[in-house]
Amino acid sequence: MEEKIKQYFNEVFAKAPKTRQTLELKQEMVQNALDKYNDLKSEGYTEEDAYQNVVNSIGDVSGLLGEMEEKNLLNLPEKDRKKRAMFKASAVGLYIFAGVVFFSFGTIGDMMIGGSYFDFATLGLCLAALICIPPTIMLVYAANMYPGYIKKEKQDMVEAYKERRYTDNKDKAVRKSINTIIWTIAVIVYFAISFATYAWYITWIIFLIAFCVQAIVGLIFNLKYTE
Amino acid sequence: MSITSDILRGHTEAIILSHLLEQDSYGYQINKDIMKKTDNRYELKEATLYSAFRRLEQAGYIRTYWGDESVGARRRYYAITGEGKDAYVVYKQEWQEAKEMIDKLLK
Repeated sequence: MEEKIKQYFNEVFAKAPKTRQTLELKQEMVQNALDKYNDLKSEGYTEEDAYQNVVNSIGDVSGLLGEMEEKNLLNLPEKDRKKRAMFKASAVGLYIFAGVVFFSFGTIGDMMIGGSYFDFATLGLCLAALICIPPTIMLVYAANMYPGYIKKEKQDMVEAYKERRYTDNKDKAVRKSINTIIWTIAVIVYFAISFATYAWYITWIIFLIAFCVQAIVGLIFNLKYTE
Repeated sequence: MSITSDILRGHTEAIILSHLLEQDSYGYQINKDIMKKTDNRYELKEATLYSAFRRLEQAGYIRTYWGDESVGARRRYYAITGEGKDAYVVYKQEWQEAKEMIDKLLK
């Protein structure tokens, strides 16, 4: 009869994803079912009655197994997956565009315009760096994008917690993107000013300024969050 | 009876936390305790119980470990975390308020 209980769970879990979690859940449920079966038998139930009782008390596990599948990260909602793929594709496109800009300006090199030399190579470098900002932000955002939390029918304590955590994640993604912008701009400005003025001994201050800006942005975010 | 079990089912997670406050426990043990405390009038369906475990675990309210029984049965135990204790206190307070209100509204 104990084999019959194990067999029952084998059937229940037959269609479940083969992950460590489901395996552990199965082991756990089988063990608890056997405990119950033995308890009932020692209370004087017949084997058949005890088996029926155990099987009946399991209930509908489709929801439970569904949850297991949800946890699998490969199963991002279709909409999010598409959005992510789009972000990545356009980011790659922009990187290539930046490279093209850099090389085409580079091949022009120095050029006489209206009697003075104009350094197209440096201009190309700056432009390429600027073009690189949006795709970088896109990638950072895409990497931190979490699947939207789908609300279940009941709003209990755990649901509320998960929803809160989801909005936290979204905030974090935005913050990371902003930090990337700040630091990319800082690097570009640093090189641009340094090459233009050759005041290398002082231009490193730009990084301190960038740090301050980052701190201020963080502060603004925190203030907004506590509101 | 169906209203009663619906309400009870809605509080599955809090009931589990309350049990784990006393001591670490495993699935069947918890269900047995529930039956005992309700004079055999209420028993959780296994599916409900394990769904609640998974959700509590995801939220960080409980953690799990495998027991080290040397012979045969290996049981999966659950223990409440600090966060779980905090959540339980809040929950109980809210339930108290809700209970008072319902008592006033349903005379």
